[in-house]
Amino acid sequence: MNATPASSSSPSVQQKYLTFTLSAESYGIPVLKVREIIQLLEITPVPQSPSYMRGIINLRGKVLPVVDLHRKFGLHPSEFTEQTCIVIVQIEGSAPGTLKQMGILVDNIEEVLGIQASQVEEPPDFGHAISSENLLGVAKVQDSIKILLDIDKVLAG
Amino acid sequence: MSPEKPININIESDAPLLQEFIPEVMEHLENIERGSLVLESAPDDASTLNMIFRAFHTVKGGAGFLNLVAIGELAHQLESMLDMIRQHKLRIDTNIIDLILKGADTLKNFFTEIDAQVKGLQPVGPITFPTEPLKERVREAISGQSAPAAPAPAAATPPAQPEPSAPQEPAKAKKAKKPKATKAPEETNTTPATVAPAEPAAPTAPPPSEPAAAPAPTSSDAAQAEPAAPAPAPAAPAAPTDAGEGGQRMDKAQMARAAAAEQSFVKVGTQKLDMLVDLVGELVITQSLIAQSPHLDADAKQALARSFSHLHRVTKELQRSTMSMRMVPIRATFQKMNRIVRDVAAKQNKRVQLVLEGEGTELDRNIIEEIGDPLVHMIRNAVDHGLESPEEREAIGKPAEGRIVLRAFHQGGSIIIQIQDDGKGLNQERLFAKAVEKGLISSQAHLTEKEIFDLIFLPGFSTASTVTDISGRGVGMDVVRQNIEKLRGKIEIESQVGKGSTFTIFMPLTLAIIDGLIVSVGPERYILPTLSVRESLRATSDMLSTVYGRGELLNVRGHFIPLLRLHDLFDVEPEFRRIEDGVLVVVEFGRMTRCILADRLLGKQEIVIKSLGETFQDNRLVAGGAILGNGRVGLILNVANLVQPTAC
Repeated sequence: MNATPASSSSPSVQQKYLTFTLSAESYGIPVLKVREIIQLLEITPVPQSPSYMRGIINLRGKVLPVVDLHRKFGLHPSEFTEQTCIVIVQIEGSAPGTLKQMGILVDNIEEVLGIQASQVEEPPDFGHAISSENLLGVAKVQDSIKILLDIDKVLAG
Repeated sequence: MSPEKPININIESDAPLLQEFIPEVMEHLENIERGSLVLESAPDDASTLNMIFRAFHTVKGGAGFLNLVAIGELAHQLESMLDMIRQHKLRIDTNIIDLILKGADTLKNFFTEIDAQVKGLQPVGPITFPTEPLKERVREAISGQSAPAAPAPAAATPPAQPEPSAPQEPAKAKKAKKPKATKAPEETNTTPATVAPAEPAAPTAPPPSEPAAAPAPTSSDAAQAEPAAPAPAPAAPAAPTDAGEGGQRMDKAQMARAAAAEQSFVKVGTQKLDMLVDLVGELVITQSLIAQSPHLDADAKQALARSFSHLHRVTKELQRSTMSMRMVPIRATFQKMNRIVRDVAAKQNKRVQLVLEGEGTELDRNIIEEIGDPLVHMIRNAVDHGLESPEEREAIGKPAEGRIVLRAFHQGGSIIIQIQDDGKGLNQERLFAKAVEKGLISSQAHLTEKEIFDLIFLPGFSTASTVTDISGRGVGMDVVRQNIEKLRGKIEIESQVGKGSTFTIFMPLTLAIIDGLIVSVGPERYILPTLSVRESLRATSDMLSTVYGRGELLNVRGHFIPLLRLHDLFDVEPEFRRIEDGVLVVVEFGRMTRCILADRLLGKQEIVIKSLGETFQDNRLVAGGAILGNGRVGLILNVANLVQPTAC
């Protein structure tokens, strides 16, 4: 199931997103990409990998990589707390037609939110400063803003 | 000759059917290939003939149902030809065997292409492979010699067929007439002696032809066994039924069944199997975590301790049998080699006898998948380069027929696969001269016999100028060795000029488990494959010397070995920085050695290897992960790269 960019579906269609926080910003990923949410486990660092690659965990006998989105996005790093979770997502592998699972570290899980396509705006253009190609869009939910991630693209490189 | 009909498949409606049909067809086609080779040496083997006939029939039926016209027509023609043979209106000769094999090949081409389209690997489109010339040849074969040859083959051929694989002959011949013999072929053919006494003699043995028809590979076929029996019946009166003759004939039937008979199996997706293995591994770890938990105080409570030891046994047993599910006999891979030897020998006008030994040896299915290509290459080489032509062989007093033995067996913790030929052997001087000519070594080099043989594994050694249909398929011996090393195996050569060569491949029992040495550096755990560990030692500070103040060398009993500090390489805060506090492990790969400094040696254990997935596939230092007793992941180090000077 692909995460359809909001602009291409009709305004009344509602998509569900899992929202979470990273350094006080609120992000969302399509809930269909989420396999499960687990407590923070001990992460084994893997030498000679990029800094945002925190390492690997043992998820019931499966070895999965864990990505630190703070580091990936250049956010201010935060301490691990009781609320820190690992979201296991299922994304496309590099070979077409394959799927792989990965963990992403998040500060806090908020909720599963239905967002109407009409609430979603195209990602703003920040010029060269920030690449917006990893974003599905920005959604206004009541007073706050949810940044909707194209998690396949975020974790591709 | 009518024009070739392309095949168009209807993906939307037929994909699920095709997905089920294709593996079944592939199995049938393999049976056909195997069976036709049996028929070539035992043309009157009714059960094999029936098996091939039924296989083509199934393909035809399915093709008709799925509207694969060209396939159906070809299968129909071949089926008719086989029917003629069944009725003794046609006799089996090399041409017929060729036609059957070619037919199976063509069908395989079709289904491989269809498979690719169904799986989306190829764009959907019309599929054409030439079938008309083949069908024409089949028609000629059918019309060419119809009636007159009728009962002749059955009577004429059996005595003229000396059994090629001699060793097991006497043992089997004695009990040959027993109808219960169906079980015997399950044993590997190298151990006939142990099979023979197990079965009681059946006093009322029916005529030999009947058991030949009765055994059926699957249960559904068993139901057809009765009606099938009359078909070969005419053969019985035609063949004289004296004891020795009958024994001979049954042997053929047994061999045929060795090829055709399969145990009953349940097909399970490999993903499910892998998941089961993962979960059982997890269960074992959890079990040991609980058992060691101090909260339980199991020592004080005897009943609890007993239950735990029972649980321990059960989980161990569960793990063992789960692991064994991944093991499959190498039989199918070996039997494919029959075909290759036959084709290559025919092209080169050589006469070759391929002897298979230890086909029942079980290997991890992943290894079996990977070992096929290197084996094909080496078998081709053995026929192509190893064996001499029949004339040459006779001139030097060897039997005209060359002999290649392909055997598999267990030794220690490894599986060994050997390819042995009785050909001309490797000529050391020629190898040396060629390597010098290609600029691979200097003409001054002093090499041991083993090093000279190993030259053939160098990339660029194989003579590109002699690329033929047979030995130029893009794999050289260097690729063969690479493939084997990728499976953590190794290959050795023994050879004697004029006597022949033996290639020996050593493989681990399974890809899934290694014996590992666990070391700690700070909070991290690393695993070194025990195979590459030479020794571990405590050092004193005077053993260390430096080069340029940086490169550290360790004097281990007179040998200077470069020191590699794991904490520096992996950027981990260690417990100890001085070499006399930590532990040193000497690792080697090929000729390279390194002395690795770690904090502590935690022990040696069998470790289930987990892939780290594509995210870390480019990581040169880490070969995989393993889940340790504390539930964390430990990294398995890739010693091959660790010992390279560029690693640090």
